[in-house]
Amino acid sequence: MNAHKTIWQIIGPVIVAVALVAVVFIVPQGFGNVSKQTEQKAAVSLSTNVFKGNKIKSQAIDDGYVPFIGSSELSRMDPLHPSVLATKYHRSYQPFLLGKPGTQSLVHYFALSGVMRHLKNRKVVFIVSPQWFTKQGQMPTAFDYYYSPLETIHWLTHAHDSVATRYAAQRLLTMPSASSDRIMKAAITNVAAGKAITSGQRTYLTTKEKLLVNADDLYSRLVSGRRLRHIQQAERQLPAHDSTAQLTKVANRLGAQATGNNRFGVKDSFYNLRLRGHNVQNLRQAERNFNYTQSPEYSDMELLLSQFAKYHVQVMVVIPPVNHKWAKYTGLSDKMYAQTDHKIKTQLQSQGFTHIVDLTHDGGQKYFMEDTIHLGWRGWLKMDQQVKPFLSRKQPAAHYRIQNRFFSRTWQLSQNK
Amino acid sequence: MVNLQPYASPSYFIIIGLCLLPIIVGLYHGKRFVAYETLFSLVFIVLTFGGDHWHQGVALIGYVLYQLLIVGGYARYRRRNNQTSVFVAAVVVAIVPLVVVKVTPAIQVGSQSLLGFLGISYLTFKAVQMVMELRDGTIKAFQPLPFLRFLLFFPTISSGPIDRYRRFEKDYRTAPERAKYLQLLNKAVFYLFLGFLYKFVLGYIFGKLLLPEVAHAALLQRAAFFHTGLSLPLLGYMYTYSMYLFFDFAGYSLFAVAISYLMGIETPMNFNRPFAAHNIKDFWNRWHMTLSFWFRDFIFMRFTFFLMKHKLVKNRVRISQCAYLVNFLIMGFWHGVTWFYIVYGLFHASAIIINDYWLRFKKRHQGLPHNRWTEGLAIFTTFNIVCFSFLIFSGFLNVLWFK
Repeated sequence: MNAHKTIWQIIGPVIVAVALVAVVFIVPQGFGNVSKQTEQKAAVSLSTNVFKGNKIKSQAIDDGYVPFIGSSELSRMDPLHPSVLATKYHRSYQPFLLGKPGTQSLVHYFALSGVMRHLKNRKVVFIVSPQWFTKQGQMPTAFDYYYSPLETIHWLTHAHDSVATRYAAQRLLTMPSASSDRIMKAAITNVAAGKAITSGQRTYLTTKEKLLVNADDLYSRLVSGRRLRHIQQAERQLPAHDSTAQLTKVANRLGAQATGNNRFGVKDSFYNLRLRGHNVQNLRQAERNFNYTQSPEYSDMELLLSQFAKYHVQVMVVIPPVNHKWAKYTGLSDKMYAQTDHKIKTQLQSQGFTHIVDLTHDGGQKYFMEDTIHLGWRGWLKMDQQVKPFLSRKQPAAHYRIQNRFFSRTWQLSQNK
Repeated sequence: MVNLQPYASPSYFIIIGLCLLPIIVGLYHGKRFVAYETLFSLVFIVLTFGGDHWHQGVALIGYVLYQLLIVGGYARYRRRNNQTSVFVAAVVVAIVPLVVVKVTPAIQVGSQSLLGFLGISYLTFKAVQMVMELRDGTIKAFQPLPFLRFLLFFPTISSGPIDRYRRFEKDYRTAPERAKYLQLLNKAVFYLFLGFLYKFVLGYIFGKLLLPEVAHAALLQRAAFFHTGLSLPLLGYMYTYSMYLFFDFAGYSLFAVAISYLMGIETPMNFNRPFAAHNIKDFWNRWHMTLSFWFRDFIFMRFTFFLMKHKLVKNRVRISQCAYLVNFLIMGFWHGVTWFYIVYGLFHASAIIINDYWLRFKKRHQGLPHNRWTEGLAIFTTFNIVCFSFLIFSGFLNVLWFK
């Protein structure tokens, strides 16, 4: 009958559309590599899509980019920022920035699980903020925001039972993201209990992974060039030669230009935006009781370290300071900060992570910090003095000895006397 | 528990498509499965307002009972009496929850009223409309179940389009004829796919990719033009935001209309090529039409009659000017109690009043040129004025100037 013909004319295109979408997303596509230009944009974009994805990160690492793993400090892109220095002076390495406000060890652990094999015998710079080491550790809302289903599925389908794996799965289960997918949650629960994932779960996960891989492949190419343009503009303020003396002069000049309207040596624009008026009043002595010495973050960091060890990644760890004047004002304890620093270093050194840039004593230097807790002009420069030789010269192979005790609650709570 | 936000993800469309199949098959055979439809609507409402949105669910239940009481109570009263004071009281009481929800964030900065839930405005429009039509006598009998069905019609529950009770009820009481239903089906499929293009492609490009870029660029120009921040990037923000606003909302509206059509309900369209409007008046006949028609019928017209009946203003021109002002001021407040929404309302009131002057001038001077160039100029001017109003509406100036 006529009506039947009409109905096919109506739903025919729908079926075709659904089929086409299925083909695009479920069948492996391999849309080809992203362009060098996209790679360059992505390396400094701090885009959450790139962070959660796999395609661009893996390709960039294969092409020689060095991951700079950190958090909010990476967005402080003044002319002394590592990305600007590396671009301007055509260094043998180029940073690939991974991290934004709220990304801590646990987020990085999952977000890097698919790219770890690309990092085998390569180098990374890991900026560990003592501010991560709160009683709660990784904030669940931030975890949710940066949670990458793609990388987490990769992790799940490649998980081998170990103390680290169980710990990671248990931590994941405490995050709301773990509940976003019922079958995945069941698989994580299995892994947390030391069991293998079922074949049904594996089928589901690999199907979902295909979909996500294709989506990543398609969409991660859309990267904004805004930060790259910013970097290129910042380059113009640097001297022609890569000399510490000249760079220090520039850092001092830029620091002096940008600060001055407040007693903390905080960048004026930051002060106006975030602190001026009531805010600063409310923060007086507000951090008196802050304690970074006891935190699940220690074990979360251990997850990353164990992955670095497994893939023989050569890691340079940077521990930034707080702005000294600011710490005094807010009552943040020097002693506590030093203890935190010591505990982090103990954990690193006892396992063979010996390339450490400890800046925690430099927070009082002029123009070292851009604002309250983030490295700026001279801080970046000081870091560069160790990062540059580490990344440009060949390093002897690292020998890591991972110790499971760092996954224990005892270590998290240890006061490290 | 799971929570599904309306039209937000591919899975929502797959689930809704599967759940709709029995209804579609039924309507194709000329039957409406009322029980199944009711159950299905309830499930989707629970999915929207359940899970971690449960507090909204509680607010919704409370709100619905409250409106049931008011509209039901007024309908009962109206059967015998017709006092203006009671009518006014009923309207006021019906909008109290919405007023509380809108005013709370303005008084306590950053906090949301516990009475609020997704779609409270749209439910209020429907409830107030009932009271007004009961007063007029255009709705005679009040039946709780059809009223609930109308109020909670789930495709439009979160953001409209705003349907009318009598129209909705007429559609619902019968199943469309097969030829008619096939037409609806055909349109529904087209609207769904157009909606995908609007919301998930164009809306995404303008809103997620471009808007943060231009916003950042515009914020860097804070000091431009004597510290007013007026800059080219700000102009870019204005156009980008306008495009985003249209494609996002028009896309959503297309989904709501399409799903309604699949259920055999001809929910009215919300947009009709608004950027092709020749003047502001024309624009409001094309933009968020169900809202502007609601305002026209229940605020503009009523206020006009009120002024004429009580002879508060004699001059007809002044009457309509007053009515425009009240109309758009209320619309501004409805969007939210912030300076930029209120200025947005005032801006449109002024624009439409000026437009009225011009239209009268044109009528008196019949010899004015009229060709495609003048039409083009009219469209261009209207478009830019509208985009400027959306810049006010966006709240970006608030960030640019005061944050």
